[in-house]
Amino acid sequence: MELSAYAQGGWRLLGDPRCFPRRCYASLLRAAFRSLLDHPHAGLDDPDLKDIDPAVLKHCHAAAATCILEAGKQKADISAISTCLEDCKLDKERIEQFCTEYQKNKDALEILLGSIGRSPLHITDVSWRLDYQIKSNQLHKTYQPSYLVTLNVENSDSGSHPDVRFSCTMEQLQDLVGKLKDAAKSLERATQM
Amino acid sequence: CAFFTGKLNVGVDAVQHGVEGLTYLLTESSKLMISETDFQDSIQVLGFSDDLNKLLVQLYLENRKEIRSILGELAPKLPSYHNLEWRLDVQLASRSLRQQIKPAVTMKLHLHQDDDQTVQVLQTDPSTLLHLIQQLEQALGEMKTNHCRRIVRNMK
Repeated sequence: MELSAYAQGGWRLLGDPRCFPRRCYASLLRAAFRSLLDHPHAGLDDPDLKDIDPAVLKHCHAAAATCILEAGKQKADISAISTCLEDCKLDKERIEQFCTEYQKNKDALEILLGSIGRSPLHITDVSWRLDYQIKSNQLHKTYQPSYLVTLNVENSDSGSHPDVRFSCTMEQLQDLVGKLKDAAKSLERATQM
Repeated sequence: CAFFTGKLNVGVDAVQHGVEGLTYLLTESSKLMISETDFQDSIQVLGFSDDLNKLLVQLYLENRKEIRSILGELAPKLPSYHNLEWRLDVQLASRSLRQQIKPAVTMKLHLHQDDDQTVQVLQTDPSTLLHLIQQLEQALGEMKTNHCRRIVRNMK
C-alpha cells in the first residue's frame, strides 16, 4: 500500500509528538474517520485540536483521510498498513492506535466505497394493483382482470427517479414472474458452485 | 364508393350512406356485445328480406371478435409489458473498491405503448429479486381468492 509524498509528509507530522501530542493524535484520527463516514465537517472542532496550526491540521487530516481511503480501497490487512506507517516513522503505539480505529470502522468504510460508482437504475421495491375491467366508452362488457405494476427505482447518481410503470394481463404477469424465478434459480445454482 | 356506384347503379351518396350504416350497425353491436337474438330483433325494424337478415346476422357473428379487438385498442392505455430479458452479473472491483463479490441481476424490460416500443435497463440485488417474486406471486394469487371470484361471477 503506497501513499503520495504529500500524505507521507502529513503522517510524519502526525508521528511527531512535538506537533501532535498523544491526545491530539487520537482526536485527529477520530475526526478523520468521522469526516469520511458521518459528516464532512465533523470532528475538526474537537477542543484537543484547537492549539494546532490550522495549516498543519489540514495537512495531517488530509494525510489521515488518504491513508484510510487507500487502505479501504485495497482491502489492506494490518501488516500492510503497519508497514506503510512505519515508513512514515510512526512509533508502534501510534500505528496500533490507527489500526484499532481502522478495524472498528472497516465495515462502514467498505459499504461507503462500494456504493460509489455508476450502475443501471436499481429496483428497490414493487407495488401492484389488480383491476377488473368492465367497460370503456369504446367497448362494453370487457370483463377481464388487468394488473398495474409499479417498480420503485433508484438512480446511483441522484438517488430518486420516476418509477417504472406498466400494465399487464394475467398471462403477461405470469410470464414476468416465470422469468424472474428463472433468474433466481440460476442465482441459487451459481452460489452453490 | 365510386367503384360500387358503377356496379350497383346507385348514386355515390347512397353507397356512402350504406357503408356508414353497416359500419355503425356492426360496430355498435360488437361494442355492446349483444346476443344473436337481440341483433335479429334489432334489424327486424329495417324491413329487409329474411335472406338479407340472415346474411347480416352471419356477418355480425363472424366479425364480432375482430371488431371488439380493434375497439379495445382505442381505450386509454399505459405502457404494457412485452418481455423481460435478464442476466446474472458479479461485480469484482470498481475504481473506489477492489476485491468485491457483489452479485446483481441486470434486466431489460421491454414495454409497448401503442406503436412505441421502449426498453428499460434495470438492475437489482438477489434479496430484492426474491422480494419482487414473492410480491408478484401474491398479486397473481389474488384472482383466485373468494372475493375476486365472487365479483367476477356477479359481473357476468
